[in-house]
Amino acid sequence: MQFIKLVVFGAIALTIIYFSISLYSKSVRRERLEDQFDEDPPEGAGPEDRDAFVAKGMTEYENSIRPKLIGLVFVVPVIAISVIIYIVN
Amino acid sequence: MQKFKMIIRIVVFVLLGSLLHYVLPGQDVGRITGTDTIRQDFGRFNRIFFAQADSGSAEAANRDVLFIDAVRRPTYLFGLIRGSEVNDVMIYRNEDTGFIWPPYFKFDTRDLQGEAKQLVSTAEAPKWVVITHYGWRNRFLTIFPNAISIREIDSPDYRPIPWVNIAFFIFLMVALMFVRAAWAQFRERSVDPLMDAAGDQLDEVQAGVAEQRGRLRRWLDTWRSKK
Repeated sequence: MQFIKLVVFGAIALTIIYFSISLYSKSVRRERLEDQFDEDPPEGAGPEDRDAFVAKGMTEYENSIRPKLIGLVFVVPVIAISVIIYIVN
Repeated sequence: MQKFKMIIRIVVFVLLGSLLHYVLPGQDVGRITGTDTIRQDFGRFNRIFFAQADSGSAEAANRDVLFIDAVRRPTYLFGLIRGSEVNDVMIYRNEDTGFIWPPYFKFDTRDLQGEAKQLVSTAEAPKWVVITHYGWRNRFLTIFPNAISIREIDSPDYRPIPWVNIAFFIFLMVALMFVRAAWAQFRERSVDPLMDAAGDQLDEVQAGVAEQRGRLRRWLDTWRSKK
């Protein structure tokens, strides 16, 4: 019973943490892209070009390995708990 | 208001500090003098300071609890200062923590009791051990720290290094820094633009009101006698 409780509430907590980290990571990435564009805007570029540049950068980010690494949030605690169980008992 | 905030902060800090002091592991150097099994009829105060029944068993109002008696080297100031003699009597309870709280995932209570029995020694022929435990001893509430593990050492001069606590506090710092950074980012990107927009709207409304009042004033002025 206790084990089920741990799994359920642990999953809820980890999901919340996962979404916070991935939102944060996306937000930082978007800000960096915007700054990158503003620093050196091409001649005659309008706001649409800026949006397009950011959207392209974001798609690149989504397809890279970095957002997948946030999934480790689910893996690391499970490993940590397994190690603790092994060491303590 | 400033004072009130300060008091709240101190209270929160002390409560969190006590919680960590209770839950984080400590390591006592000493020797085991005996083991016991005593039936505990939990009271309202000390119930929360005991764990639950062994993880496979049913929970009853009272039950037998295993105890380990020891003498240890006293420590002060979170273990930074140590007494020179091994003369501090300490009684540990020995209970499963199970899967939930505190997260030690200890299920080997019976085995630990067996180990403890094997390591019982006298003052003349001491077997020195490090007892890892968490929790507090309080005579008034009748509460005991819970022993997690026992390992043999060569002499009472051995100084255990609290690796788990070091790792925990590093993790805590990293987590707090992340929360701070995430909150700052959230404010910068999501809250502030909203507030700016709201502020702009408020300005527009106020300007509109000012204009209305100006018109009213002008109309009223037409009733005044012309000088």
